[in-house]
Amino acid sequence: MSKEQVVVARKKKKKVKIFPIVNVILFLVISLIIMVPIWKVIVDSFDAKAGYGMNFLPQTFTLGGYSSILSRVALYRPFLISVVVTIAGTFIGLLLATLGAYVLIQWEMPGRNFFAYMLLFTMIFDGGMIPKYLVMKDLHLLNTLWSVILPLSINVYNLVLMRNFFEGVPESLFEAAEIDGCSPMGTFFKIVLPLSKAALASIGLMYAVQFWNDYTNFKIYINKNELFNFQMKLRNMVMDNDIPDEGGIDPNTIANAAVIVAILPFAIIYPFCQKYFVQGVNVGAVKE
Amino acid sequence: MQCKSCGTELPKKAKVCPKCGELVGKQKSDNLKVIAVAGLVIALIGGLLPFVQNTDVELISDAYSFMNIDVPAMWYLYMLAIVVSLVLLAVKKDMFSIIPTAISGIIFIVSFVGMNFRGYESRKLYNLHSLTDLLSNGYEGSSYSVGCGVYVVIIGLILGIAGCFIDIMKYFKKDINVDSKYMTNSINRKVWSKIYYHRWFYVMFLPVLIMILLFNYWPMLGCRYAFTKYIIRSPYYVGLLHFNTMFTNDVFFWDAFRNTLLLSIVKLILNTGAAVIISLLLNEITNLAFKKTVQTIVYLPHFMSWVVVASIFRLILSVNSSGMINQMLMGMGVIDNPIFFLGDVRYWRGTFFFINVWKDTGWGTILFLATLSGISPDLYEAAQIDGANRWKRLIYITLPALANTIITVFILNLAKVMNLFESVFVTMNDAVVNVSNVLQTYVYRKTFGSGNSDYGYTTAVGLFKSFVGMILVLGCNYASKKVRGRGIV
Repeated sequence: MSKEQVVVARKKKKKVKIFPIVNVILFLVISLIIMVPIWKVIVDSFDAKAGYGMNFLPQTFTLGGYSSILSRVALYRPFLISVVVTIAGTFIGLLLATLGAYVLIQWEMPGRNFFAYMLLFTMIFDGGMIPKYLVMKDLHLLNTLWSVILPLSINVYNLVLMRNFFEGVPESLFEAAEIDGCSPMGTFFKIVLPLSKAALASIGLMYAVQFWNDYTNFKIYINKNELFNFQMKLRNMVMDNDIPDEGGIDPNTIANAAVIVAILPFAIIYPFCQKYFVQGVNVGAVKE
Repeated sequence: MQCKSCGTELPKKAKVCPKCGELVGKQKSDNLKVIAVAGLVIALIGGLLPFVQNTDVELISDAYSFMNIDVPAMWYLYMLAIVVSLVLLAVKKDMFSIIPTAISGIIFIVSFVGMNFRGYESRKLYNLHSLTDLLSNGYEGSSYSVGCGVYVVIIGLILGIAGCFIDIMKYFKKDINVDSKYMTNSINRKVWSKIYYHRWFYVMFLPVLIMILLFNYWPMLGCRYAFTKYIIRSPYYVGLLHFNTMFTNDVFFWDAFRNTLLLSIVKLILNTGAAVIISLLLNEITNLAFKKTVQTIVYLPHFMSWVVVASIFRLILSVNSSGMINQMLMGMGVIDNPIFFLGDVRYWRGTFFFINVWKDTGWGTILFLATLSGISPDLYEAAQIDGANRWKRLIYITLPALANTIITVFILNLAKVMNLFESVFVTMNDAVVNVSNVLQTYVYRKTFGSGNSDYGYTTAVGLFKSFVGMILVLGCNYASKKVRGRGIV
């Protein structure tokens, strides 16, 4: 290092020092802004007199909110429906995405381009809410769980994403499998799927979040109280104060607890699966 | 020129190697005939449309009075002519297919313009019609398949005639110096064997195909309701009435359109801007554990549904004593009375934008962070040695590297501008309809909010939304191709 460079470097070091500290403080503030609303809800869900004032710890600790959610059939059932829809939807969605993606990487197949354009066109033009509703009506699927599972399970974006993952599987593996007498189905189940576990995890999680959080489709296609999912119920509880009186427990506490229950499943698995979520976003934008 | 697979010497303009069936040279798609066939099929469907739906009129008389002719033979002749020209195309006598196509066209024109004399007066619906009258109003009170049929027939015939005509021109233009065996693939067996080879893949694609047809393409057909009145009972054709009402008479529609554009574009700019700034700053943090923790926290809100987010903010923004924010502001003496953030026309938009930034900014940083981590540290080192300070390095290294990603993200999201629904739907209420109603919520509230609503009208609004959305997607696709050499769809 020449003399001038050393001087410059020393100068830098002195000048820059304050920035990292400011930066760290800034991110503490940002994290606080993100966390405070969530924390407030957590606190209030344990507070027998939900959130009067700015308390950041429950003043009168209670588990009443949660116990009333778990004990009340009116809330137990929607939770179960959410779980069922999420599991069934994710399974069907993954099946469709992998099958479609596997066919789309068969470049030699006559009609492959036609199928691809057919899929892509659905991303360009959309029938609209009312025609979709009328189709559901014609299929007699209104007020059944199929009406919320099926339309979301065919997701062209996820299918294209899956195809991008599949394209990473080396061509030679397919050839080797074929030479060894593996049928297309066999190759699919024995080679493609086992090699794309990360992709399955990534896209499966995207599907699961989508189904767990689904509100729009339930709102449009379902108007039977007993088929509502947890999001619908939560919405009714918080917005319309539709919380039946439950021996001495503040309805506000129950509402807060319900919010937490709605977040909980993904809040628990998310830290462990963060890398799969992130991977899905990156693959989606880098190669589409 | 030589064939790539078998090495046979071929003439310069050859497209196919006659020996092995391999395609060589520049392939020009042979889509001209496709136009003719598609047009003829559409014209055929147009002629058959009256059979699609039961009406209280006898079907067969429906069919030919739909063509505005009172000699049934004319309708049969029209259908026959189209079938004949399709057959001619199928047996590769392209040259002659224009004759029957032209005949069917003449029948159509004559029946509407020349022979527009008597009509079926005994049948109340089908009296005299002029073509222009039909195009704007349809057969008054008739079902949509009859009403829209004229459009279908016209489109089909224009395409068919144009296609046949172009096919003929192509025949004359054909390069006579090149033997035809070099121009067309006579070894068709290859395609069939390929199809047979891939048979299981077709089976595998079947479920996807069925789902796509059921839930994406069938609703597209449903757009026809936009031209009908559809209140509980079976729809009937009203032409462009709904669009007329929509554009000239419906203030709420324009409000919704303006709100859609305003809310989603401002949201897009705020979200992208915040995400860029946060990822730039986050990139400067050297402590990995701290960085990871911050990332985990800022990604978190993305996994909450809009219902949950709306509920959380509803709870903490509440006006009564449990609303944290109002209590805090009042405690600090900033305001005297609690503000109803989500129920006040003045504050709703600001609150909506804040909630959006709160929810999605963190998630938006993922792509930017990935790009930033891809910038070579050598660049920074070299710049540092040359005496560039932090600011200069940001301007000259980081931002140029990030520019492409920013544009990509912007374009990707711009294409989704018209789809704004759930986020607005769960945060809006009747008090703030004026500033919050977007096209999708407008459609929802108008259709399901009141009984006896006209599906036709809301379908028309939805069709307008889809149409603008399509233009946006195609525009963004074009922009994306220009910017990064690759489309978004």
